[in-house]
Amino acid sequence: MYIGLDVGGTHTDAVLLDRGGVVSTCKTDTEHSNLLGSIDRALREVTRGIDLGSIVSVNLSTTLSTNAIVEGNVEPVGLLVSSGPGIDPENFRAGRHFYLLEGSIDHRGSVVRDIDEKALAAAAEGCRKKGVKVFAAVTKFSTRNPDQELSMAGAVSGFSDFTTLGHRLSGQLSFPRRVASAYFNSAVWRTFSDFAGAVQKSVAAMGIGAPLNILKADGGTMPLSRAADYPVESILSGPAASIMGIVSLCHVTEDSIILDIGGTTTDIAIFASGAPLIEREGITMGGFPTLVRSLKTRSIGIGGDSVVAVKKGKVSVGPERRGPSMADGGKQPTLIDALNVRGIISYGNGARSVQGMTALASKHDMTPEELSSTAIECALNAIKNTVEEMIYEINEKPVYTIHELLEGKRIVPEKLYVMGGPAAAFVELLSDRFKIEVTVPKNFEVANAIGAGLARNTMEAELFADTSRGVLSVPNIQVSERIDARYTVERAEADAVRYLAAYMKTIGAAVDEGGIDVVESSAFNMVQGWHTAGRDIRVKCQIRPGVIMDLY
Amino acid sequence: MIQAKNKMGLIFFPAYDWAIEDTHPEREERLLYTQDQLREEGVFDIEGVLEFKPDVATELDVMRTHFCFPDVASVTTESHMISAGGAIRAARLVLDGEVKKSFALVRPPGHHAMKAVHGNRGFCNINNEAIMIEYMRDNYGIKRVAIVDTDCHHGDGTQDIYWNDPNVLFISIHQDGRTLYPGSGHTTEAGGPNARGRTINIPLPPGTSDDGFLYAIDHMVLPILKDFGPEIVVNSAGQDNHYSDPITNMNFTAQGYAILNDRLSPDIAVLEGGYSIQGALPYVNLGIVLAMAGVDYSGVREPNFDEIADEIRQERNITAYIERLTEVVLGNYFKPAEGRELLYPGDYVTRKKNIYYDTDGIQESQVESLMRCNDCGGLLVLESVSSVNPLCLGIEIPVGACPNCRDEGLKYFERARKQKKYAVIHFINRVNKEYVRV
Repeated sequence: MYIGLDVGGTHTDAVLLDRGGVVSTCKTDTEHSNLLGSIDRALREVTRGIDLGSIVSVNLSTTLSTNAIVEGNVEPVGLLVSSGPGIDPENFRAGRHFYLLEGSIDHRGSVVRDIDEKALAAAAEGCRKKGVKVFAAVTKFSTRNPDQELSMAGAVSGFSDFTTLGHRLSGQLSFPRRVASAYFNSAVWRTFSDFAGAVQKSVAAMGIGAPLNILKADGGTMPLSRAADYPVESILSGPAASIMGIVSLCHVTEDSIILDIGGTTTDIAIFASGAPLIEREGITMGGFPTLVRSLKTRSIGIGGDSVVAVKKGKVSVGPERRGPSMADGGKQPTLIDALNVRGIISYGNGARSVQGMTALASKHDMTPEELSSTAIECALNAIKNTVEEMIYEINEKPVYTIHELLEGKRIVPEKLYVMGGPAAAFVELLSDRFKIEVTVPKNFEVANAIGAGLARNTMEAELFADTSRGVLSVPNIQVSERIDARYTVERAEADAVRYLAAYMKTIGAAVDEGGIDVVESSAFNMVQGWHTAGRDIRVKCQIRPGVIMDLY
Repeated sequence: MIQAKNKMGLIFFPAYDWAIEDTHPEREERLLYTQDQLREEGVFDIEGVLEFKPDVATELDVMRTHFCFPDVASVTTESHMISAGGAIRAARLVLDGEVKKSFALVRPPGHHAMKAVHGNRGFCNINNEAIMIEYMRDNYGIKRVAIVDTDCHHGDGTQDIYWNDPNVLFISIHQDGRTLYPGSGHTTEAGGPNARGRTINIPLPPGTSDDGFLYAIDHMVLPILKDFGPEIVVNSAGQDNHYSDPITNMNFTAQGYAILNDRLSPDIAVLEGGYSIQGALPYVNLGIVLAMAGVDYSGVREPNFDEIADEIRQERNITAYIERLTEVVLGNYFKPAEGRELLYPGDYVTRKKNIYYDTDGIQESQVESLMRCNDCGGLLVLESVSSVNPLCLGIEIPVGACPNCRDEGLKYFERARKQKKYAVIHFINRVNKEYVRV
């Protein structure tokens, strides 16, 4: 049996699953001052009366790292950075202990200028004096040559509790993203690892011996052992939990739209041929683009509790939420009240909905029905426009080969899946608007916990080989090998898969080579003086986000 | 996050699956390191720098601009249509107001492609900038355009296309043709009889560095542009003036390219040549993108710049030579040489040209006849025969043609059709937007 736990901003959802589907569920309020208590309560509730030995895994989605970053509740980080020529690295300053060091590596991974050892030693000493305990070391092009990051880490190893190395986060290029990701990773490291340790203890104390996994924003999980070193990968996993829930609950095979309509927001995701799409570069956290892999989702301020307002004769819905709907005892009419008035739903205290809408409508020379219809229209338009923007963006995604430009697939959604509190009320409205089939999955109330519970381990790795220099590396999983001049792209593909599988094994993840896909692969002849000097080979492979079993 | 002062569109299309030949400089790998550099620098995350897909140019887009013999399909591949389409997309973005400036980082290049096309010369088949400009003139009603070609090689193709066009100013800054392919681009080449002073060549001596290029921009290009008053300024952004370029002899730097773009402030830039793909392109392109977007570029520098700074300093005699050149160049624009007065409107002026297509090994002979006209660019008739095509004919009634040139053009076309003398006739009627091949 599998356990999924989603510790959200408001609720903590837990679900126990087996081959037959949902065995038990639990929804409890999230106590922010005592997350462990909330988890404990939910776990005990769903496992009541079952054989704890039959539990295969416990997967946890938590907003802990996200909240720590959003609320600025983070530890001071000694951020050691070297960039060499280019855009002014001051732009990427983060935290109060930012040290810019001389040193430079070019796009081939050649050292152009050594790290200024004196300045590095002084930076390390400065941090030590100020009592800084965690560090992040980042250089430009460290994914091509990690040596300077390693020597930076070496300079603080005597007194650092934890140091994030930029190249270990991802093989992807982007110095600013690397700086931000490494900073966040170190900033939340202590909070997260303390918490994870406590959860593990508490689970064990309960008698559950199954491994613990942490959900990531890409809809996959990582074993706790990895999460302890890469807590940044746990940020913004909330929407991914619900999306993976849909993957498990519905047999999605075509291009589709997924809507999760909540109280405050609607989360939108797009599926291509039944698979959720992944953000091209990485998720943006608090305005900082990062290297953290994520599903492509967008959130807009339209939900059941979004305030209905009229300004200069123009009706609006959201993005603010000022308490619950009037039907639920709130003070201002919301989208829920509009749906009540139109008789689309019959929720809570309907009379109060009518009362609220009538009061607002009469101020603006409208009937409550007119106002409600316009408000619903307005919400639907906002959703439709955002969906269309996303699809446009996906279809306009730049490509770099003639083949892809001319033969590239375009997304044309054929189905829409909607979940969330007011989901049922929206079925007809949405099918009317989008002119496609609309489905409300069963058990959608706990789709997030189901998604968390059934998500499988994911990981990606980028292999980079240069036959003229005779080197191969897979930076984020610490592979660095010599290769001969005859090394080929076919060998590189096989090697990339093999290295990733081996790494997954060391972190205790359940993945075999068959579950790893090569997603990008290229080989370029490098020519010097009209002769081929070698090949530049790049292979990217990944374990796709997916679920352990289907519940449809 | 860094904010661009100018909202900017990048059409980055490296065509990773296309090359002229395996070890040819114009091959798959050419923009790979540029992409690495731009991604690592986080250029695509700069707020206000947006990436777009190229359009695919249509046959009509090419026929509007070129006489392709025997036809468009025979002298182009998909890659050429996408490269030209990338330039068109760049223009659309600016003219539709989606962005303030745009840069088409596309390959293959185009500035050696002339009016008549039989194949590939100087790595170019069709002229991306010209196809883009003619697209703008047909679809957006743009009238006056200036092209500043900063490729190290003379932009002889673009010069040929606009030789007779009084509304398109073509300025080429390049390594002196006596020392480099294609051998043209001397100050004596200053435009056809109906467009004197609308072709401006600034040949610079080998060894010119940042000082010389920026001097030419400040003292020659900018004063001329100011007087001409174009609606759109296009930069043919070749990057082979760089000190590390393997096939040229100049000493321009990435920082210099960035400053040049800052001062020139083109609306649209289109990549041309540049084959120092590891040592120059990543840094030059970064400099150009930042300068166009209005983002601080002062930190852009080649990794080995410090070691080479002394070596590439401009010699004093070069500085003196460029200063002396100024008077000639400005004179070509502000006081164009006599010539048109010697002819009467209605007379045909003919140019005979022998053109060698180095990439494809084609030899072409042309007779270009232009009707002298005081009211428009003048009717153009071009007879061409090459080692791959029998005698062909191109007739063009130019943009904004006067009634006389238009009537003459239509009559010429009818006569030529009846003669059966030409294997192919290309007829371009820009007034009626009629593009015919028979």
